[in-house]
Amino acid sequence: MTPFDATSLDHQPGATTELIDHVARLLPQQAPLHAFVHHNTLHAFEHLPFTVAVETAGRQFGAEPYLPEAAYHRLRADGRITPADLAAVATGSGAPGADLRHGGADYVLRRLALDLDLPAGPALSWTLHETDALTRLHPQVDAVRRRHLLASGAERDLLTDLWARLRAVPVPTDPPTPRPARPRDRILEATGHDPDRLTHPLLIRFTAAYLDQGIAHWAMPGRDAGMLAAFHNLYGASRPVEPFLRDLPALVIDHTTAGRQAVDVVEWALDALGVLPGQRAAVIEATLLSLRGWAGMVHHLHRRPDRAPVSAPPARLTDYLAIQLTLDTLAARHITRQTLGPGATPADTDLLLAHHDRDDLGLRYEAFVLAQLMPVDVTALADPGVAARWLRTVAGCPELTRRRLLHLAYERRHAVTVLDALSAHQPDVGPPRAPAPAQVVFCIDEREESVRRHLEELSPAVETFGYAGFFGVPMTYQGLDDVRPRPLCPVVIQPRHIVREVADVQASDWWARRRAMGSWRFDVGSRTLARGAAASLVGGPLHLAPLLGRTLFPRAYHRWERRATGRQRPTTGRLALEFDHDEGWVGPQPGFTVAEMADIVAAFLRTTGLAGRLGPLVVVIGHGSASSNNPHEAAHDCGATGGGRGGPNARAFAAMANHPQVRRELAARGLPIPATTWFLGGYHNTCDDGLAYYDEELVPAASREAVARVRTDLAAACAHSAQERCRRFADTPDHPTPEAALRHVERHTVDLGQPRPEYGHATNAVAVVGRRWRTRGLFLDRRAFLISYDPTTDADGTVLTGLLMAVGPVCAGINLEYYFSHVDPTGYGCGTKLPHNISGLLGVMDGQASDLRTGLPWQMVEIHEPVRLLLVCEAEPRQLASILDAQPDLRRLVVNGWIRLVAWSPTDNRMCQWRDDGFVAYRPESTRLDRVTRSADAYVGRRDPINPVQVIAGVAR
Amino acid sequence: MTALLLTTAVAAPLISLVALAAAAWLHRRVGESLVTAVVVGTFGVSCAAVAVLGARLATGTPGGGPDIGRWWPVGSDPLPLVADGASAPFALTVGTLVLLVALFSRRYLHRDPGYLRFHLLLTGFGLGALVVALAGSLALAVVGWEIAGTTSVLLIGYFSERRGPVESALHVFTVYRVADLGLLTAVVYWHHVTPDGPRSVTDATVLGAALLWAAMGKGALLPWCGWLPRAMEGPTPSSAICYGAVSVSLAPYLLLRSSPAWAESAAVGWAIVAVGAATAVHATVVGRAQTDVKSALAYASLTQIALVTCEVGLGWHRLALAHLIGHAILRGAQLLRAPSRLHDHQVHERALGRPAPPARNRAHRLLPARTQLWAYRYALHRGDLDARWERLLDHAGAGLRSLDRLDERWRRLLVSRPAGLARPVRGAGR
Repeated sequence: MTPFDATSLDHQPGATTELIDHVARLLPQQAPLHAFVHHNTLHAFEHLPFTVAVETAGRQFGAEPYLPEAAYHRLRADGRITPADLAAVATGSGAPGADLRHGGADYVLRRLALDLDLPAGPALSWTLHETDALTRLHPQVDAVRRRHLLASGAERDLLTDLWARLRAVPVPTDPPTPRPARPRDRILEATGHDPDRLTHPLLIRFTAAYLDQGIAHWAMPGRDAGMLAAFHNLYGASRPVEPFLRDLPALVIDHTTAGRQAVDVVEWALDALGVLPGQRAAVIEATLLSLRGWAGMVHHLHRRPDRAPVSAPPARLTDYLAIQLTLDTLAARHITRQTLGPGATPADTDLLLAHHDRDDLGLRYEAFVLAQLMPVDVTALADPGVAARWLRTVAGCPELTRRRLLHLAYERRHAVTVLDALSAHQPDVGPPRAPAPAQVVFCIDEREESVRRHLEELSPAVETFGYAGFFGVPMTYQGLDDVRPRPLCPVVIQPRHIVREVADVQASDWWARRRAMGSWRFDVGSRTLARGAAASLVGGPLHLAPLLGRTLFPRAYHRWERRATGRQRPTTGRLALEFDHDEGWVGPQPGFTVAEMADIVAAFLRTTGLAGRLGPLVVVIGHGSASSNNPHEAAHDCGATGGGRGGPNARAFAAMANHPQVRRELAARGLPIPATTWFLGGYHNTCDDGLAYYDEELVPAASREAVARVRTDLAAACAHSAQERCRRFADTPDHPTPEAALRHVERHTVDLGQPRPEYGHATNAVAVVGRRWRTRGLFLDRRAFLISYDPTTDADGTVLTGLLMAVGPVCAGINLEYYFSHVDPTGYGCGTKLPHNISGLLGVMDGQASDLRTGLPWQMVEIHEPVRLLLVCEAEPRQLASILDAQPDLRRLVVNGWIRLVAWSPTDNRMCQWRDDGFVAYRPESTRLDRVTRSADAYVGRRDPINPVQVIAGVAR
Repeated sequence: MTALLLTTAVAAPLISLVALAAAAWLHRRVGESLVTAVVVGTFGVSCAAVAVLGARLATGTPGGGPDIGRWWPVGSDPLPLVADGASAPFALTVGTLVLLVALFSRRYLHRDPGYLRFHLLLTGFGLGALVVALAGSLALAVVGWEIAGTTSVLLIGYFSERRGPVESALHVFTVYRVADLGLLTAVVYWHHVTPDGPRSVTDATVLGAALLWAAMGKGALLPWCGWLPRAMEGPTPSSAICYGAVSVSLAPYLLLRSSPAWAESAAVGWAIVAVGAATAVHATVVGRAQTDVKSALAYASLTQIALVTCEVGLGWHRLALAHLIGHAILRGAQLLRAPSRLHDHQVHERALGRPAPPARNRAHRLLPARTQLWAYRYALHRGDLDARWERLLDHAGAGLRSLDRLDERWRRLLVSRPAGLARPVRGAGR
């Protein structure tokens, strides 16, 4: 979002549309749930520095910018924030001051280290009036300080004096907070009646019915004419029961006879609500944000109708706003009439407003307690000047500031731990010498980190690589089962190619289809009157056995059901991948030309450093996630494929690299692929850690044995990875064997009652762009995106630029969405899953009529550690700086601190951190690195986050 | 033996309820697995006891008549619990569903701060429903009725940190209280007027009307339909057990069990049929326009409950019982897998081989266009029953307030009268 002066538009006629467009950028950008894509929740604030952005957005959305202070104190107790970190952030926060009373770093440092739970509001008033807080020393005062304080006088006198002095001096005053612009807020403030409580139920019901994709059997009539027209059609001739809606039909007739378009209705309503010209932007913003989930969905379906689960009705945000403001006007008039009598206007409610003073008791009490706890000369506070200065000092480090500093300290400790480990790991590693017998390419996803590590431990000869999970194949894909094609590439790319799977051996799936249709019909019919009665009488008792099976033995039941119903897909297909038409094709191109395929494979070989080092077998593994009874199922899929499942991309890539003409073309470009090398595509289900492979029947005889071996190794690695995952599920035994762990995660996948089938990207924190041998053998606790990049073959930085442009925003989007959904699970996330209720096939509500909840559910993010992505990039700082200069989008993320960028020298071990406006050399705090023989030694029996350690079995030698 | 089994079926949940409540009251940290073990064990025992009773009934062991409808044993039975052809199957269904929901919730509510509270309330609800199912007298049924009602209201307000659930819980609570007037009337009338059972058609009509009034509130029958979708605020498993399966089923069950009391009065029978039929039509019309899974299922549930009520009114008791039990299992299962709806939609589209049409049911097309619009509005707004109810409450509140104002005026008049003045001036104190 470019800085935009909304107020300047306010006075221009016809600027309302522009104002609405501007506010629309603040609305949640979440797509319907089946097309979930991770993105930065505060994307609209990326032009601001991170700390400013989260605090501004926090005020605007009424959400939390950081964790609560108590959470940081718990982290401090766990050693995840050390005194050194506090000192580092305190030094940066203010002028050094020796005297506590003058504030400065010394005060800040002491204040940050103080875990103090101070009462506020009514609790404060109770503490002051009903407890001995003003006559007894604070319970946290230690014995030494107590003796020191009481040396000069009695406890009661001392404290009474102190409180009197602190009450006597004036406190620094903030500018008074302006009155809210939105009429609803003013009416609520003045009368205690909330107009939103009248309007929201109707607005939610209408919007949900208008957007519904097929849960209702009866669609709203007249949807095709647009949202406002449908509203007018529905309510023009109604006789509403709610008193506040009494005038709605007349108003609708008034709007339609006056021929008011949506924008005109908005302007009419703003006038009717008495909104001053300068406040229109603020009112529109606050109005739309009051039900931001639904407003965002209306806007999203307008911009991206292709993402609708069935078909998007012609909804526009302006229509929605016109309806909301119409209802707001009616509600405001109704409440005004009720409280002030007939004839009063909404603006008159301001008359009811009582004037009250700003309450500064909280600050005085904080200063009072801190004077006891900190080594302050209490007697000197008798001087009003000193007391005033002390109050200023205390006011200078309010809660928000402390949370910001504590957060920075927390992130600092995280960075130090990771960077020190990377650095201390280097003396023990070296590049691989011979090409490996098997080279396995995974997605960069941090969930694959553990699979890669276990694979390298179990079969040290194998080499692994990380490449964005769409494997450079930007396609729209339609499998045999798919009803409609969907893009499988990062959201920033508009795919020009469409790849379809065509049936190879057409087997009859008539029976499977009948079964699926039958169960659907039963489900729909059971909700009606007559068929429902029959379904209850006959089908009801038959439901008991499946219900028992699914609840008691989910895994066994699922296996039995699958056996009983036969294979899921009896038809095998192949990809229609190759396109050999002449120039001049219009529309999406079905398949890729040989030259395009060669480009894709060449980019892969150059980026990963595999060019010239290819072994006999390269396995390319995409990933996705399947889970049951989970509306957020798609949120666990691959971010690099735009929230899809990356199997088809891996399959397509392998087919391209095996294509003889592509290989000829590549040889001509100086990137030969040996004739003995075979590429195999695969798919990893990150939820049940199952693996599937594509086109195995095409594997040449010479490679069969290698394929069989690597399949065994990969299956074992996945089982070990499942064991490692299980430590974070609190419902697993402490020491499961890999096999037991695999059974456990399989049960998570098929269990109807399991709200956390997997933890997804939770705990992600690091991204390393560089050669794998430099991180191989380092236990990174499934927290690091690993992106293969060979700096030695990229002198001019073009490969790195492309890589950072692709993975930077994707990884940051994932990381920041988890950050926000964790720090404010109800403001930015969608709260706990337990009451979720799918509405219109679009999203979830809390219970039966709430805003559409966006963000991630608490069960996905509960174990997350909210730190910004630490992007370690194997490149010289100079090169990185020039890339940033050339790429403003990337620069914005780095300079504004949405990503913590570190340059890691490809030739030696030097590291430089980006600070504000340039790279600053990083000096490791410690060179010590714990060593374990195997990964399991690091994690078995532990449930908490684990710092990096060296795994000897995995180190490249 | 029968008495022992009956006592076990009800005493097990009672003991667990007391134990769990004590743990919660004393702020004891109880592990999730222990809580689940207690609840699952409890209802396992209850189910087993009822199952043995059922088996004994089926093999003709004396101790409980297999015929439906002997709910008013008069005498000095200290524990009026009965197992017969109606109560045993219904109690077994209730126990099994509570057991399944407890098993389901052991993972669904894992790590939720309210784990103990949820299971405590679930146990209470199961206890209440079992007591109603097995009660041999109206007075005991009322006890179960109230326990089930209170706990289910607390489950609606489970997420007490948000406003919506608490408001909905309060709304349901109000409806329950109003409906309970009917039950209390029936108990008092029974006790004081006809201690030996209804003697005349008038007795039967009064008792029947009071019981119907109670059932209308509990079963969300017209005009109380509005609260059922609002009850979908709690965690999914509690919505499934209370409002999909068991709680609403208690209403037709009460009418079924008490049928000997009102059978004499044809008017009551027809009133029950009328209420049931009207509700069934209302619910099926409204359900068609609901756009969220849980509301749609709530109205689907209501449609069938209303039909069962009709069947009871018509005297088709065995059909009603089979319908009630089949429906409870079906709807409970459907609500538990309500979060699968997105997934099911995709499976359905694949089976179709093309995008699903947005709306399949076209029964409403039979209506003329203007009526269609009216009917759609009626369906979307759920017949505006909630709004009417709130307006009624508003009017009642306004009435109370005007009484209060009158009182205030008189008070001022009396207090502010100056000492020298013999008579109050007209209008003083305005």
